[in-house]
Amino acid sequence: MKKRTTSILMRGVFAAMVIGAVFAGSANAAPAWKFNNTSLTGSETIVGAAFESSMTIPGLTTKCENFLYKLTISNKSGTGEGSLTEVPLYNCTTNSPVCTVDAIAAEKLPWASHLTTVTSSNYIVIEGVKVAILYGGEECVLGETVATVTGTAGGLINNTTETATFNASSFSATKTKLSALGSGIEWNGVFPTEAFEWHREQALTVS
Amino acid sequence: MRQKRKTTRVVCMAMFAVALATLGLAGSASAFSAEFKKFEFCPYTNTEVKKCLYSVTNSGEVVLGNKKVPVEKPVTLQGGFGKPDEITETSKFYEATNGITLSKAAQAVPGGLLGIVPPEKSPALVKALSKFFFENSLTGVNSTLELAKPASEIKISEIHLSTREGVALQLPIKVHLENPFLGKSCYVGSSTSPIIWNLTTGITTPPGPNKSIEGAAGEIEFLEGGRILELKNDVLVDNAWSAPSAAGCGGILSFLVNPIINGQIGLPSTAGHNTAILKNTIFLSTAAAVKKDHTEHP
Repeated sequence: MKKRTTSILMRGVFAAMVIGAVFAGSANAAPAWKFNNTSLTGSETIVGAAFESSMTIPGLTTKCENFLYKLTISNKSGTGEGSLTEVPLYNCTTNSPVCTVDAIAAEKLPWASHLTTVTSSNYIVIEGVKVAILYGGEECVLGETVATVTGTAGGLINNTTETATFNASSFSATKTKLSALGSGIEWNGVFPTEAFEWHREQALTVS
Repeated sequence: MRQKRKTTRVVCMAMFAVALATLGLAGSASAFSAEFKKFEFCPYTNTEVKKCLYSVTNSGEVVLGNKKVPVEKPVTLQGGFGKPDEITETSKFYEATNGITLSKAAQAVPGGLLGIVPPEKSPALVKALSKFFFENSLTGVNSTLELAKPASEIKISEIHLSTREGVALQLPIKVHLENPFLGKSCYVGSSTSPIIWNLTTGITTPPGPNKSIEGAAGEIEFLEGGRILELKNDVLVDNAWSAPSAAGCGGILSFLVNPIINGQIGLPSTAGHNTAILKNTIFLSTAAAVKKDHTEHP
């Protein structure tokens, strides 16, 4: 009888340890925004411009020379969050000789974002992305058509270069997807991160 | 001598004319580049036409009452369409210049109409003909989709095609049932009572017993530097349509054969009992691009 009670107790303790370890693990895994290796308290505004960015529907690539963004970041319960409040896009072109970009605008801002860790790499996931692109050109099959890019985008955070890189690998790792015209699209972009307010010129890392 | 010269001149002129005509024909035969050839019957010279469509339904199925007919032979829909209405986001359709807006591809009805049992009171001739034509594996029944109204009654929404919301393609059709016994005028649907397919790439909301089914926008690829859009694996669906009774079946015996066909297929068939699933490859281009390609490939 005593043996049985001890066995049940031991099993209970083991189960509690396992559950505790799992929770501790997930708490550690939640990445946070850090400035000079110190977790951000309060919020900070990050402003940047893409080094390069392009969106490709097979056969048609659209590029913007000026892809700017304004992201307000904070840590909530140890996990980094963000709110993309401004995404101005200028000087956009296509690789097609007949298609122009007559207008382009980010819609339904702000877009929420959060940090996540996937197999020891940190990512930023932007939700509710919506960008409307009005193509032009008499011979362009998309002429006078608004193509709306929607979905969720995941980008790999690199602490060394202080950048977020969005490409097929980062989308696959974060199980995110952007679509336009009912079809999946490819989005490639490298975005630098730089604090604009209280932590200006401080190293921004995610861990 | 003068007469001989005149004859020679006439012969030469005739040969020249023949040569010109041959060149002309050869020219018109290759008046498009390979990628634009599919749009040759688009009414692109009509200034109302903004875009050209060439769509091939390669597979799918049509459930009409209690008969399911797989699409095994490709069906082509081609023509042009205008600028979309700002409110409905749909465009008016324009007939293909060769008159074949919707190609006629006879699809075999699996099992034909086996099992048809004429009413007991039917004349012996009807019973005999019915047995001969329907109850053997050689003379099956084909069904062919045809437009029930002019092509201008087709409505298309390029926007809905990609957003998967609302009706992407509205087709007024009739089903031609063909079999030696049924005659040449056995139709389900007509110009006055067409079957209306409100096809979507999204999710249907049919009345019961049918349940929601989902279409697909497919995968996009731009060709010819953005002049042509190819939509692969597009799936257009509608399972909320109704079908009227068959009419004109059996020629002069239609008053006897129509009820037999209706009984066998389950016609008229109310909404919720019929389904159309069309799996397509769609090509789109602008009328301007088609026109330019034509001028560049005289």
